[in-house]
Amino acid sequence: MRKTSFALALLTAAVLTACGGTDPRPGDQTPRTKFSQQVTFGDSLSDVGSYAVGGVALQGGGQYTINGDATSVNPELTGKNYTTVIAAQLGLAAPCAAQTGLQGSTSTNPALNFAVPVTMNANCFNYAQGGARVTIPYGPGNHLLDKPGTTTYLGATTVPVTTQIDNHLKKVNGKFSGNELVIVMAGGNDVLEQLGELTSGATTAGGTALITSLVTQLAPTTPVANGADIIKNAAGLEAAKPGSTAQTIITAAITAAAQNGNPTAVANAATIGAAAGAAATKAAADFQTNQAPVLVKNLGTAGAELANLVKTKILANGANYVVVNNLPDVSIAPAALVQSADVQKLIATMVSTFNTALKTGLGDDAKVLYVDLATVSHDQATNPAPYGLTNTTTPACILTDTTKNPLSSSLVCNKNNLVTGDVSHYMFADTVHPTPFEYALIARYILLQMSGKGWI
Amino acid sequence: MKIRINVVKLMVAAGALALAGSAAAQSKGQFTVSVGANQLKPDVESGPISAPALPNSIGDVGKDTQPIAVITYGLTDNISVETAIGTPYKHKIYGAGAIAAGGQLGTVEALPAIALLQYRFFEPTARFRPYVGLGVTYAMFQKETGSFRMTALTNPGSGVPTTFKIDDKWTVSGQVGAQFNVNEKWFLNASYIKTKLRTDVHFSTNQTQHMKLDPDSFILSVGYKF
Repeated sequence: MRKTSFALALLTAAVLTACGGTDPRPGDQTPRTKFSQQVTFGDSLSDVGSYAVGGVALQGGGQYTINGDATSVNPELTGKNYTTVIAAQLGLAAPCAAQTGLQGSTSTNPALNFAVPVTMNANCFNYAQGGARVTIPYGPGNHLLDKPGTTTYLGATTVPVTTQIDNHLKKVNGKFSGNELVIVMAGGNDVLEQLGELTSGATTAGGTALITSLVTQLAPTTPVANGADIIKNAAGLEAAKPGSTAQTIITAAITAAAQNGNPTAVANAATIGAAAGAAATKAAADFQTNQAPVLVKNLGTAGAELANLVKTKILANGANYVVVNNLPDVSIAPAALVQSADVQKLIATMVSTFNTALKTGLGDDAKVLYVDLATVSHDQATNPAPYGLTNTTTPACILTDTTKNPLSSSLVCNKNNLVTGDVSHYMFADTVHPTPFEYALIARYILLQMSGKGWI
Repeated sequence: MKIRINVVKLMVAAGALALAGSAAAQSKGQFTVSVGANQLKPDVESGPISAPALPNSIGDVGKDTQPIAVITYGLTDNISVETAIGTPYKHKIYGAGAIAAGGQLGTVEALPAIALLQYRFFEPTARFRPYVGLGVTYAMFQKETGSFRMTALTNPGSGVPTTFKIDDKWTVSGQVGAQFNVNEKWFLNASYIKTKLRTDVHFSTNQTQHMKLDPDSFILSVGYKF
């Protein structure tokens, strides 16, 4: 009898087991913290459409990635920035640009019209702007940095992070509620802009040294009183012409010397040119060597400034959840890969100096999550397979053909101007900006660190 | 399908019990049932989650203790067969390695069905009888349950929560144990079972993960000879 009841009990248990669902299930999908909103300060890496107006919008662009939902082409081509991915995961509204507009050139061709009045969007809280620096109000894409006489230009507003935070504080009467997820990410444009200045400075130094060397070599054997001036002017005139090269400048100087009676100029052209070229290369290299420590120091300053902004303007005004992404390793980006080994090393040092200053400045704070994207991005470039990346060295977007990409930037990149082949798992959209797939990897990494912090 | 296998197993166990009425006292032809607790502790060696993931995204599985009923039938005075029934083991699944910061990522219920052939030392009347066993285990997994964090680490912001399925496996188990006969009817039982178990985890994101679980099972029970 006892055995019979036991057998019945077993049968009952079996039936019960069969009745309850046993399939895989998603489980609780709510985060530990219910954030009220996402507030973002930063640069192009976090920009969700500050310049998605006028010609940029007409060209199907607006974010610094492969723009637009092209998931019908490939599921990874979501067109989403990492801030958009994180907001969606946290159940928050999709972020929108707090300020939109461009101060660029006008054009009768609407697709090339970059003059669109600046608008502040009251209900949008992503302040990140392409080209923005930490404190300096002009960065890449700002018209102030264009060469004089440039007729077609984007006119990026590049409002720096410090002003972005001020703009938000104005909107919220000076105080964070304390329930926002605040995201801060900057420094990339401080690297790129200074690097640009370094390159143009080195070119100038090289050009000057080239002409000086030519004059020094040719003037003593040119039998006219003002030989030095004549040669210098001829070389300078050539150098000022668009498309001039070291070779054309050398030829101009030698021709001028020969025309003024120099008997050996033409015969010795090869050696004179070689010596002048060497002098130019050395001067350019010397300039870079001398300037490198200044650049590194400037990045250290920018990193410390960003840490200070987080502390004095964000934490001090009541924010409790602040994600500070450090600067990814720019030295592995396609923009750096075309540089010399020395410049690549310099970029790596600039990045690490910025990040060290940022981390040190932030210190240990329960309200701050410092996310080390530098290490991850470096690892992605050296070990791409586990990340699912198929290419970490070349851009997914067509950049050089201006008929297909008038801005030569991912800002107007979409499914229609991609390089051929499957670019869905590329790391870079252009020479510095991530693809949507890479942005998704960044989002996951930040969410992992937020889990570790106990925020979600 | 998996459910049905489980039902069949339980019914076989129940049927065997019902037939046991004719069993004589002691040793050969004797049924014993002991009731106690089993701690199931996976000895995890996890492979990495396949791309896209941080390198060395591995996992860990926690232990669980559940009540158990061990049913033994003596084929001879020294050779016996054993099976056990119990409630599902609820294991927590944790991120480890590069994703240790993820903490608990999910849970799963394990329902191991086991059949062992045992050799029992000494006479049936001996007070202390050690034994060894070898058998087969069907490791069944059910109710694999994801979490916010699992979705956050695999497919964030898509609106599609990540789920996962762990493959059920047939495998082998080895056992060492001992029975202490308190009197003619009652005894104490302790045993350790090692099961070889390698299985694969399949995520709804098309990612996979190979895991060596090789669980250790520690059973303590109090039994009665019918």
